[in-house]
Amino acid sequence: MAEEIYQLSATEISSRLAAGKLTSRAVVEALITRYHQLNKKIGAFTSLDEKDVLAQADASDARRKAGKVLSRLDGIPVAIKENIAVKGQPLTCSSKMLANLVSPYDAHVVEALKSAGAIIYGRLNMDEFAMGSSTENSAIQKTFNPWDLARIPGGSSGGSAASLASGLVPLALGSDTGGSIRQPASHCGIVGMKPTYGLVSRFGLVAFASSLDQIGPMARTVADCELLLKVLATPDARDMTCFDSTQRSQLPVATEKSLRIGIPKGVLGKGVGAEVAAATQAAIDFYKSKGATIIEVDLPSSELAVPTYYVVATAEASSNLARYDGVRYGHRSSNAKTPIEMMTNSRSEGFGPEVKRRILLGTFVLSAGYADAYYVRALRARSKIRAEHLAALEKVDMILSPTVPTPAFKVGEKVSDPLQLYLEDIFTIPANLAGLPALSVPCGKSGHLPVGFHLVGAPLSESKLFAAAQLFESAHSFANQQPTL
Amino acid sequence: MAKGFDIDHLAKLARLNLTADEKVLYSNQLTQVLTYFETLAKADLPASSDVALVVTEKALRSDEPGVSLGSDTVTKIAPASHDGQISVPRVVDDES
Repeated sequence: MAEEIYQLSATEISSRLAAGKLTSRAVVEALITRYHQLNKKIGAFTSLDEKDVLAQADASDARRKAGKVLSRLDGIPVAIKENIAVKGQPLTCSSKMLANLVSPYDAHVVEALKSAGAIIYGRLNMDEFAMGSSTENSAIQKTFNPWDLARIPGGSSGGSAASLASGLVPLALGSDTGGSIRQPASHCGIVGMKPTYGLVSRFGLVAFASSLDQIGPMARTVADCELLLKVLATPDARDMTCFDSTQRSQLPVATEKSLRIGIPKGVLGKGVGAEVAAATQAAIDFYKSKGATIIEVDLPSSELAVPTYYVVATAEASSNLARYDGVRYGHRSSNAKTPIEMMTNSRSEGFGPEVKRRILLGTFVLSAGYADAYYVRALRARSKIRAEHLAALEKVDMILSPTVPTPAFKVGEKVSDPLQLYLEDIFTIPANLAGLPALSVPCGKSGHLPVGFHLVGAPLSESKLFAAAQLFESAHSFANQQPTL
Repeated sequence: MAKGFDIDHLAKLARLNLTADEKVLYSNQLTQVLTYFETLAKADLPASSDVALVVTEKALRSDEPGVSLGSDTVTKIAPASHDGQISVPRVVDDES
């Protein structure tokens, strides 16, 4: 049994706090010590206000003493990705463009966490504006994979995944536009969920591609991940795509006794590493041994998912990032005499290479003469991909695949080849395009590197995915795993 | 599918200055990515491009004033301000 505080799951911390065996201050002090030992090496956190987190811990301990505990998360630290607004804290999106921005307000999810008594614990590194799969695109610092410091942690929520795997925090928030929660979760051996589009409010999440972005929970165990999602998933009128109370009351409940799992045709074939394929096959065999029905499903348009995603996401990004013009907030060039110079110079100085590349690509696919050939065709392909997934999910409860085709690669290995990097997300992208909930669960190792499998369910079937993941986790030793550091 | 693009025109539309080296780099990379996108051109696709994932009534909420950040907060995070207003380089030329 894990005895060091940094090794405890959030659920375990919660039980010990409730039993009076631990205080929130003791948890936070232990994590601050761990932060000083490891953060320079891992690069997960971009900032941590120690005085503030200790004050939050003391306030939680005082509430507990007075019998006014707010929730099971009361007194438990939750670290926040750099693109989610926390009032009075930096909101840099790991970009020079927002290097000096301090958020004047809280995101909906941060309000929800504060209402639950959670400790808003530090800011986590990411790829600039969430564009990337390795966290190498951060303008602040690099983040390294705790399982092998020569390798990337995945991205864009690389700081979130690395902070969990190295025991710097028990819970973290990420955001996922094409796999940015699940791919780093797989590479760092933790659990990460992208909820159904509309389940969690995007108010206060800096927009990348609004029709794909979702905030989601990341943790070292399935139960912790579910505990965190329950706090985040509340209605919010400030996000018009967020499900209201009536829609939430119509959520399907997990009733099926025998699980039906779909395996996409040929999913363990071309491009999937041998050990990743073996670990995924072992997960399939496990479910079979537990009485699940394994059914092959045909998703013929999956091969269109990556190009469709990069057209839709870059088109939306080029539009969303037009707001960074040096006028109202963010970087303003000191070298500009006219408004156009101010906008152009501010953007050129503030954005990094991957952001510029995606803005140019998005501008092209939306430009006169090309929008029909690229953007409109991508929307049609997206519609087809969604229809195929929904049809398959009529026949099965969830679709299982690897999360990422191969384990974490070496730092610098793919920086000059954007297309290779885009293919990291081949299994995770369809869930974003179709708005479906999806989860990455640790299921083994490729050499010394963690591997995860991926479950995708019908809209709002999060509880079903968690139940299936829990079944697997309980029978294996991958829960709450941390490398020796 | 046409994949020719004019990098100078794109940079202008995107309000980005690119160096000569960046122009070459991005042109090559965009060409590579757009070539990969050609699977989309060849695919048999439905006529519908309706991709609404969530439909709520909130799109039509009544237009009532709400709480906003206030000019003090807004000008505090602005790159430059004057008398409670955000200031920018002169937009309108002198009449001549």
